[in-house]
Amino acid sequence: MLDTSHGASATNNPKILARGLSVFYGDKQAVFDVDLDVIDRSVTSLIGPSGCGKSTFLRCLNRMNDTIPSCRVRGSLIFDDREIAEYDPVYLRSRIGMVFQKPNPFPKSIYDNVAYGPRIHGMAKNKAELDDIVEDALRKGAIWDEVKDRLDSVGTGLSGGQQQRLCIARAVATKPEVLLMDEPCSALDPIATAQIEELIHELRENFCVIIVTHSMQQAARVSENTAFFHLGNLVEFGETKKIFTNPDDPRTESYITGRIG
Amino acid sequence: MIEKHILSQFDNDLEEIQAHILKMGGLVEMAISDSMKAFVHKDLELAQNVRSADAAIDNLEELINEEAARVIALRAPTAVDLRVILSVIKVSANLERIGDYAKNVAKRTGVLIQMNEIEDAANALRRLAREVELMLKDALDAYVQRDVSLAEDIIRRDNDVDQMYNGLFRQFVTFMMEDPRNITGCMHLHFMAKNIERMGDHVTSIAEQVIFIVTGEMPSEPRDKADVTSSFKP
Repeated sequence: MLDTSHGASATNNPKILARGLSVFYGDKQAVFDVDLDVIDRSVTSLIGPSGCGKSTFLRCLNRMNDTIPSCRVRGSLIFDDREIAEYDPVYLRSRIGMVFQKPNPFPKSIYDNVAYGPRIHGMAKNKAELDDIVEDALRKGAIWDEVKDRLDSVGTGLSGGQQQRLCIARAVATKPEVLLMDEPCSALDPIATAQIEELIHELRENFCVIIVTHSMQQAARVSENTAFFHLGNLVEFGETKKIFTNPDDPRTESYITGRIG
Repeated sequence: MIEKHILSQFDNDLEEIQAHILKMGGLVEMAISDSMKAFVHKDLELAQNVRSADAAIDNLEELINEEAARVIALRAPTAVDLRVILSVIKVSANLERIGDYAKNVAKRTGVLIQMNEIEDAANALRRLAREVELMLKDALDAYVQRDVSLAEDIIRRDNDVDQMYNGLFRQFVTFMMEDPRNITGCMHLHFMAKNIERMGDHVTSIAEQVIFIVTGEMPSEPRDKADVTSSFKP
C-alpha cells in the first residue's frame, strides 16, 4: 500500500514501527493496514479530517484503546523491538506519556501533579531526589519559572496554557521516551499555543514526539514528518516540507489546500 | 481544473489575482505590437503612447504583489495554491520587465526616425518581435490552461529567437564596418534587438512557472544558450 522505504524514515532508526496495523470498533474498521515508522528524537504529526483514524492510531501506541471493550487491534506495533501488546500497560505508559486536548491537571498541588508518576513508579529514594525530578520536569515543561514560588498552589488554579504545560511536565516526569499529544493546543489561545509549540520544538531534543492536530499550520510549524490519514488509511507519510509544498497524493493535496474535509 | 475550495472566497481571491495577470499580459502584448508598429510606420505618436502606457503595467504589478501578500497573510496557501501565488509574483515581474523593454524600443524609435534607414532592419526586427509576441500569447494561454507541453514548446522556441538575434547582431556589425555613418543607427537597432531577445527570456521564465505550478518542480534540463554573441569576434 505505502512504500515507507521512500519516506523520511528510511535513514533513521525508528522508535515505533507499525506494520499492517488495523483497528476495529466492533464491526466497524477504523484504521486500515497502516505501515508507519516513527523516528526517535523528532516530531511526527498526524493530520486528517475528523474520523480519519489518526487519534485511534495514536491511542494504540500507549494502549488507551484497551479500555474500550469493542476495540480490537490487528497487525504489528513495535516499540523498542518489542510488541506493544506484550508490555505491562502501566509500565508502557510510563515510557510512552500522553498529553490530552483539554488540560487535565489533578486537583492537587502543582508539586504533587508532577510528583505523582515518579512516586508510583518508585523513581525517588527520598524527598530531595523527588524535588530534583519535579524541578527537572517543570523545567522541561517550560513552566518552572512561573510556578517555582508556588509549588503548593493547586494545579487547577493555573491558566489554561500553564495547565497544559503542567500536564506536559507531568508527562515527562516519569522520564518517558515517547510523548503522545492529542490536539494539545486546541483549547488554548494563540500565545499559549506558541509557547507549547516552542516547548514541542525543545522536547524533540530528548523525546520522540507524536502529535495529532487539526491545525495544519501547526503540523507544518512543529513537525519534521507528517502522516496524512483519510478514511482510516494512511494516505501519505513523508517530510513535512514536502507534504505541504508538493505532496504526491491528490487526496493529500486536496486536504491541505482546503478542498476536502 | 482542480476542485473548488470549501472556502469559496479563497477561490475568488486566486481567480481575481490571476485575472490581473491576464490583464497585464494583454497590455504587455499590446506594448510589444505597438512599439513595433510605431517603429515600422515611423509613428512617433504611437511610440509615445507605448511609453506612457507602461505606467498601467507597472501599477498592475504593484497591485498583484499586494494581493499576493494579502492571500499569503490571510489564507496561508499550501501546495498548488502556494505555487500559484509564488508564480503570480514572478510572472508579474516578468511581464513588467517585458513592458519596460517595449518602452525602451519605443524610445529608440524616436531617435531612429530622424536617421537614415538601414536596409531590411525593420523587417528583421519585426519578425523577431512577432515571434516573441506569439510566444507570450502562448505562454499566457499555457498559464490559463496549465498546459505543460505548450510551456515546454515555448521554452524550445526561445532558441529560435536567440538564433534570429545572433543573425541580426552579425548583420549590424557588418553594416557598421561597411560605413561608420551607420554606427549610431545600428547601435540603437542592436539595443532594440537585444531588448526583444530579452523579452523572449522573460517569456521563457513565464513558461517555466507554468511547469512549476503543475509539477511542483522547475524544468531541470539546463537550456543550451543559443545567444552566442557574447563570444563573438569579427
